[in-house]
Amino acid sequence: MLPENLTAVVARNESWTGEAATEPYEAGWAKEAIVFVRALKEPKGQLPKARIEISADGMHWCREGSEFDLPAAKDAVTFQRISHFGNFLRVAATLADGAEITLLVTFHLKA
Amino acid sequence: MTDIDALRRAIREADPQLSRFDPLPRIICLDDFDRGMCGWTQLVGNYEDTLDAMLPGYAQHSHAMLSTLPNWDFGSHGGVDGSYALKIATRPKKGAQNVAIKRLTFRKPGPIRLEAYFTFKPEATDLQLSETDIRSFGFLYDLQIGDSSGPGDRVMPHLRFLNAQDGQHLQKWQFKRKTTPIKPIGNAGKTITHYHLAPDDWEDLPGGEQRLCYNEIPTKVNWHYLRFDFDLASMQATRFQVNDRVFAMEGFDCIRIPAMKNLWCMLNLAFFAETDTDKRAFAYLDSVCLSGEF
Repeated sequence: MLPENLTAVVARNESWTGEAATEPYEAGWAKEAIVFVRALKEPKGQLPKARIEISADGMHWCREGSEFDLPAAKDAVTFQRISHFGNFLRVAATLADGAEITLLVTFHLKA
Repeated sequence: MTDIDALRRAIREADPQLSRFDPLPRIICLDDFDRGMCGWTQLVGNYEDTLDAMLPGYAQHSHAMLSTLPNWDFGSHGGVDGSYALKIATRPKKGAQNVAIKRLTFRKPGPIRLEAYFTFKPEATDLQLSETDIRSFGFLYDLQIGDSSGPGDRVMPHLRFLNAQDGQHLQKWQFKRKTTPIKPIGNAGKTITHYHLAPDDWEDLPGGEQRLCYNEIPTKVNWHYLRFDFDLASMQATRFQVNDRVFAMEGFDCIRIPAMKNLWCMLNLAFFAETDTDKRAFAYLDSVCLSGEF
């Protein structure tokens, strides 16, 4: 049987301001992931880098170390490759006052 | 019992994966989440031109996960017979819901049987039993007659185990006959929407009180068996069982709305979770067996 391969939409049409993150996604079965982020509306303000966070339990989070740009224009796409992330995965960002992005975040996971 | 029935039963009872189910003669699917997502996906709401058109009830939904039921205090719980189960997680906001769905069609309007092993638990953010943090666990079918079988309805049998509401531990099965008003989406006249999981209009299933094994700390779970029999010819429920209890279904009915022009022979099945506190609710399915008489 082919190894598991999953596209999971983890944030759809969500507007991020301030401290923001995707919901915890459990994917301990996956050896690798690519996160795609697409801006669904024109972003506002100065955008920060997004960061990958990992967790043992979905409640207590650590910065995994990867950071990547958030898309700077409507329909622009950015991505980050990740491997060896254990069990829970999320994308987080800290947006300054006045900054806002409405996004689609998808995880592409492979066993 | 005919010879073929006896042979079929003997073969199934010798197979450990099937022996814990009582399927009808034809197995439509046997989804053991050790083999992946098995066609269970996110229930996305309808939209046209913009995602902003999606009703908030659907906008909150997210993708189910393949889970080992990991716990901070004792590690992975695992499933009934393997490492993985399907996990449906709500957001951490009182009243939040999430749904996992499988979309099929049927080839004969006759009896079908849904069987599953399920459990539920809130996210273990507190060192408390948390037995009233989950509002409900439930399931539904979304069905419509064939295009040449009409006139008929779109029929949506819903059942939920109302575990708790506003901190009260209620522990009873409920059903639903009403959905929200049907609302057009966009301007093309092709799409409508309604939110059949709205919190209103649930009714108690007569005799549907049941105390399920919950266990003694916020992380331990026990798996429960459920079976729901439905007849696609009469569009009526015929039997409902959870663990050792069989419930009378005379008082049960479904949401019934006019047939829609793009949904002929639809056979969708879905499971859902709702939280009663600002804490994530987790519903887990170890395996789902859908079978039919055809």
